Amino acid sequence: MSRGHCGHVFSVDMKLDDLELEPRITAAVRRARFSSVSEVFGVSVLDLQRFTGLSRADVQQLTAAAAASCRRRPPVPALLLHRGECGGLASGLRLAVGCPVLDELLRGGLPVGGVTELSGESGAGKTQLALQLCLSVQFPTQHGGLNSGAVYICTEDTFPMRRLRQLITEQPCLRTDVPPSLISSLRFTDHIYIEHAADLDSLSVCLSRRVPLLLARGLVRLVVVDSVAALFRAEFQADDWLQRNKQLLALAATLQQLSDEFNTPVLCINQVTDVFNSSDRLSPVMSQVSPALGLAWANQLMVRLMMLRLQGMVAQGDQSSALRRLEVVFAPHLDKDGRDAAVWREGVRGVCV
Amino acid sequence: MQRAVSTFPLSSGVKLKLLSAGFRFAGDLQHVSPPKLSHEAGLSQQEALEALQVVTGGGAVASFTAMELLQMEAESRNIVTFSSQLDSALGGGVPVGKTTEICGTPGIGKTQLCLQLAVDVQVPPCFGGIEGHVIFVDTEGSFVLQRVIDIAAAAVTHCSLLAEDDEQRGAMATFTVETILSNIFLVRCHDYVELLAELHLLPDFLSDHPRTRLLVIDSVARPFRGFDDLSQRTRLLQGLAQQLVTLATRHDLAVVITNQMTTRVRGSQSQLVPALGESWGHASTIRLLLQWSGSRRLATVVKSPRHMDATVQYQISTDGFRDADQSDER
Repeated sequence: MSRGHCGHVFSVDMKLDDLELEPRITAAVRRARFSSVSEVFGVSVLDLQRFTGLSRADVQQLTAAAAASCRRRPPVPALLLHRGECGGLASGLRLAVGCPVLDELLRGGLPVGGVTELSGESGAGKTQLALQLCLSVQFPTQHGGLNSGAVYICTEDTFPMRRLRQLITEQPCLRTDVPPSLISSLRFTDHIYIEHAADLDSLSVCLSRRVPLLLARGLVRLVVVDSVAALFRAEFQADDWLQRNKQLLALAATLQQLSDEFNTPVLCINQVTDVFNSSDRLSPVMSQVSPALGLAWANQLMVRLMMLRLQGMVAQGDQSSALRRLEVVFAPHLDKDGRDAAVWREGVRGVCV
Repeated sequence: MQRAVSTFPLSSGVKLKLLSAGFRFAGDLQHVSPPKLSHEAGLSQQEALEALQVVTGGGAVASFTAMELLQMEAESRNIVTFSSQLDSALGGGVPVGKTTEICGTPGIGKTQLCLQLAVDVQVPPCFGGIEGHVIFVDTEGSFVLQRVIDIAAAAVTHCSLLAEDDEQRGAMATFTVETILSNIFLVRCHDYVELLAELHLLPDFLSDHPRTRLLVIDSVARPFRGFDDLSQRTRLLQGLAQQLVTLATRHDLAVVITNQMTTRVRGSQSQLVPALGESWGHASTIRLLLQWSGSRRLATVVKSPRHMDATVQYQISTDGFRDADQSDER
């Protein structure tokens, strides 16, 4: 009668002893060696009667009390959410990228409750966008931030410190919407926590201990994993796919829980693989590449974005950049659309052609 | 009343005592008082009372003649999808009183169809709707209010353009984005225990909100993926399926659930199939498969008691779930 789920970090499985029940029901339940609420839902009502020797009415009392203890809140009318009267649940809060063109594409930025994936070829500008978000999260909410820091988990390369410093120096150039005095008052590097995880075990330690601690203390409100693909590609051979899928689901579940529990955007950077079989009905045929890690991973995402490197260059002042494109592959609230973009000294910005 | 006592949902101890005391059919328990039964079968007072409630109370509910069923079927109502092609493939829309499962890969439009239905079920009767309320169980965090407002606003505009007579113009006074939002009740479930718990509590909610005509669970798959014990999962899912059917019929609800797709490898070939295993395929009355064909979105009715398999093309526009534009059809 185990819980069956791996990666449950936060959800507290209520103990049956804590339920308000008649003592004889509690005693019968204890005699039958049921201890937690999840076990009660794991068996049918008839089996519960058989195991506990309780009457039908008693068992109904037991399941009703168990169910009520699991419910975080009763059904909420969407209108109350709209008026912001139920903090946390389905809030419309977004983490802005810091560029009006891209933020318009994303309807304000990354959603705070859910896992967003950003995939693309190497050199497409994924890490650039992630770094930019680590800065924009530090702004107050009226400037699209979340007034907190970021934790950046590197699994492939070392953290691009030099590039981060450059982005910080050039921040006034990117964020012309924010008063310069506010920008200069923020000590950006103090609020970016860098973690290195070279394998899945260290990643899971990081996500189950250090990251929740940072989130709980309010020190960060953005989790970046750069990248998820590297670990799974290195650790599993082709024939281990069952084990690999299980680990993928566990990782996705942990990230989702972090996001739910702390109302925090989670950004996962992913690699891409070449598409060999175009008759595959997984996704619309739009390019020669598709995000790595397959369907098991894709099923767990809320938003999937893709950065593409296009042919051609664009110039701005004394700088020039390869043309890129940020595409929305899917998201419950976004149209399938894209915007051309480029990477400048001050960061990633949409290009109006 | 020839139903055997052994087929009733009673605990095995009670059944054994009833049988050995000679109570073999439901008819044998007719007009027997609880104290008498307790005495004759050696049951406790409580057990005897419950056994009588189950056997004599349970028998009366389930009998309808085929003629009555046919009439009920004819009166049954549907929720339109705002895609006329999908409506006709489904025989008028998503049926009230039955369960419908929507399967598809991520991004294909499962959630979009659910949100669309959550708005459509509220369309006033003079526009051909059923003016019901919605309970939306979100297990994935994909209920984004921004999107619901888009779809609701588009539906309101659509109906106000259609309004011709006074009745319809009058109905528009209460068919607004605000009222649509106030009639969608959202529950967020984070794991399967919370989902099962919520389903236990739903009958109470439904009695308090008798106008509810649609229950959405988006998705059933997420909380049940990554289970170690597959036989436990099958058992839980079977119980869940049964609960959904009971809710659909007893509370006159359209139950709409979504499911993910998974890859099944057979020999050297791999194919996409709905997740949660073979037996889950029997859980719903209607199964709708959404899939890509090139850059077109197709909806296929793969299982339905009254209709042949049908495939239609659709699109997800800014306004919601719609028929594909004529120009897109190739």
